[in-house]
Amino acid sequence: MTSKDETGMKYFPEIPQKEIEEIRNSIKAASIKVAAENIERMKKTTPNRPELMKYFDNISDFFGQREHEIRAAKEEGKKVIGYNCMFAPIELILAADAIPVRINSGWYDASKLGDRIVPPEVCPVIRSTIGAKMVGLSPYLELSDAVINSLTCDGMTKLSEILSDHKPIWTLCPPRVKDSPQSMVFWREELKAIEKKIEDLSGNKITEKKLRSAIELRHRATKAFRRLQDIRKGFPVIMGRDAMLVNQTSAWDDINRWTLKTEELCDELEKRVRQKMWVCPPDTPRVMVTGTPMVWPDNWKIPNLIEESNPQGVLVIDELCSSDRFLYDPVGVDEWTMDDMFNAMAERYLLTSTCPCFTSKDGNEDRINWLLDKLKEFKVDGVIYYVVRGCMLYAMEYTRIKRILDRRNVPVYYLDTEYTREDVGQMKTRVEAFLEMLKAKVEI
Amino acid sequence: MGIISQMLQATIAVGIVVAVILVIIIGVKDRTKKISCLRIFIQTISLGIIFLGLIIGPFGLTQYSFIGNAPRDVLVGTTIFGAPFPDGLSVPTMACYYPSGRTMTCALWQIQSYIFPFWNAGKGWGVNYTSSGLERLVIVFGLLIAMSVILGRLFCGWICPLGFYMDLITRARKSLKIRHCNLSEEINDGLRQLRYLIIAAILLLIFVFGAEAIVGTKLVSGTEYKGFVYQYFTAPFCQVCPMRPLCVLIEGALGYMNLQYVFSQTTGQFYEIGYYVTSLNVLVLVLVTIGAIALRRFWCRICPLGGLIAVFNRFVPFKWASIVRLDKDEEKCTKCGICKRVCPPQVNEVYEEKGGDVTASGCILCFRCVEMCPYEDCLKINVAGKTVFESKNWLDTAK
Repeated sequence: MTSKDETGMKYFPEIPQKEIEEIRNSIKAASIKVAAENIERMKKTTPNRPELMKYFDNISDFFGQREHEIRAAKEEGKKVIGYNCMFAPIELILAADAIPVRINSGWYDASKLGDRIVPPEVCPVIRSTIGAKMVGLSPYLELSDAVINSLTCDGMTKLSEILSDHKPIWTLCPPRVKDSPQSMVFWREELKAIEKKIEDLSGNKITEKKLRSAIELRHRATKAFRRLQDIRKGFPVIMGRDAMLVNQTSAWDDINRWTLKTEELCDELEKRVRQKMWVCPPDTPRVMVTGTPMVWPDNWKIPNLIEESNPQGVLVIDELCSSDRFLYDPVGVDEWTMDDMFNAMAERYLLTSTCPCFTSKDGNEDRINWLLDKLKEFKVDGVIYYVVRGCMLYAMEYTRIKRILDRRNVPVYYLDTEYTREDVGQMKTRVEAFLEMLKAKVEI
Repeated sequence: MGIISQMLQATIAVGIVVAVILVIIIGVKDRTKKISCLRIFIQTISLGIIFLGLIIGPFGLTQYSFIGNAPRDVLVGTTIFGAPFPDGLSVPTMACYYPSGRTMTCALWQIQSYIFPFWNAGKGWGVNYTSSGLERLVIVFGLLIAMSVILGRLFCGWICPLGFYMDLITRARKSLKIRHCNLSEEINDGLRQLRYLIIAAILLLIFVFGAEAIVGTKLVSGTEYKGFVYQYFTAPFCQVCPMRPLCVLIEGALGYMNLQYVFSQTTGQFYEIGYYVTSLNVLVLVLVTIGAIALRRFWCRICPLGGLIAVFNRFVPFKWASIVRLDKDEEKCTKCGICKRVCPPQVNEVYEEKGGDVTASGCILCFRCVEMCPYEDCLKINVAGKTVFESKNWLDTAK
């Protein structure tokens, strides 16, 4: 008890209830406004926005339908398990009949609150998540019974300690080297431990049958996701922001319904492809974004700028763990035994990840290959390397990525920013200059 | 009349097998496993072709009529390029000389027999060889190299009956939901090196046994005509080969071999349990069966015949000429590890090598990795530079 003060908290300061509520309500109101504004801006850019986007707009609302659904399910006795990283084994959560929700936070204002606990040098995603917890802002974080926290970077490591003041935190430690035999052994044990915890919390045993159906459920989601991505490979029939939103909602929506709606969206988009109904001129520069995750609703700054600037760009693919990397890889099961399913899952989560937290024999070459492959497949004209200040791992990998992309004659632009609205003007100038250059290149 | 009734019998046997396979294919709910289904189909057909002796031909060759009626000697005939070749085509699969009829014979048996004891012309067991063993060896190796270059270890994955036997065991194990074991990389590599040792040991043994015929001086007693070694160790590897008892059983089941005769004819020697099968054969078969239950494609990891094909397919200078290659696109690969995990003989080159040609000497070309790779065009099977199979987003066909 020596490490804790009289409030029983290791990190969180004591804030009067009234103040908490005041701040929460003000951020919540601002967030709802920003989300509505973002959707409005997306509609404005694409007058003929796909019909089905209405569903995703609705589900993207943090304080709306999905919150009520989760709350209702929780009252029925279902457990909610939060996670803030792609490493969390979602199949296991689904197999235990619990609800997986992603809890990292994109609220700009909440990151200012986080400054009270951690220094401002820390990555704003972490600060914002802490700030959201301080005032109980994020409904998904508040509703979750436990949080799976992957120790991918320094921020995430300490985040688990800080959040443990309020929530049971299950740490999941990915080894920093992917391709050594001992790291796979360790990783499997980590997942086994998490499985045990999920089983204990939910009270449901993860059986072979349940795990199989959970894996197949996610297969269907991946299939829908990949179908959407395949459509994005052609001339743009959907703006990048819309697709990003679709992909990001999969992190908290009911996975079955999400799959269904995404398939419907794909049907609609395929019809548009046949009708040649592009959302922007086909010669619009095709941009890829890579780097730090961009979390809805506040951190929609860069996608907005890219797709609204003059000349316009279109986001065709991103390498963000918050959207296009999230569902890309399926769990490839050889034999449907518990053992093999588990191995397949462990390998899928560890080995396919292109997170910069890894360093292997050849460095994080998987990420470079991923980027190069997608550059070709999606006919990308330019790459925006997006880093928030404090995200050391992504920032440090830039030099290597730039060198390789330069060799391939792919323009890459480093954009470092913060969780703030203040630099929008400056960012706009920078993005426009880059797109101007791309446009000139495309025209040649 | 006898021919017609036997042909009917053969047709019925094939029909039953095909029906069983169709049931398996339909029973496999997962439609993503198209290559595996095709493979099991081709394996079945090859099994029929090998053990029914291509079905065509005069039945009941006089010289061995006491063993049973077997279809023999027809399709290929007894000469190849003018050279008398009464033992048929040497096909690099584990399928025997005696029961399978002489249209196809295990290449390993031919190599052993043409060095010893059939080095000299005319000295066969009921077969009149007019050319010397050396000449016939040239033909055998010529055929072996040609087939290795053209098809490579496709024989192992798609044709070999012993491989099929192990695949069936794996399927049975799968349906019982029993997990398999994995060998560590070091042991697996060691086993792969052991193949070459076994080949070397066989060749050495044969030269020692056949020294009298080849160089004119006897090195071991009993190697003379009708001597002890001559009678029982003419093909040393065959005495431990796990496929021999299986061949006898299959041919017996098909009615082409008189099992009663086979098992009544034993000289009482320590290792002989029948006319054709030794106790060592049965012991190794039991071991291989147990191994195949625990591991996938256990025998393929130490198979000397597979090693021989690999030598003529995977290494310089044959490597450049060989036709069937497995190719990997480095950029498309996410190193997800699926190819490594699903590989029956646990080959890890496909996973570990960066890209380009990843055909490994341990690879049996079953294409399981290509089938299971979820990234489009990442793994490809190239036949003479042309892509025949490629990995695709199998989620499209998953239910």
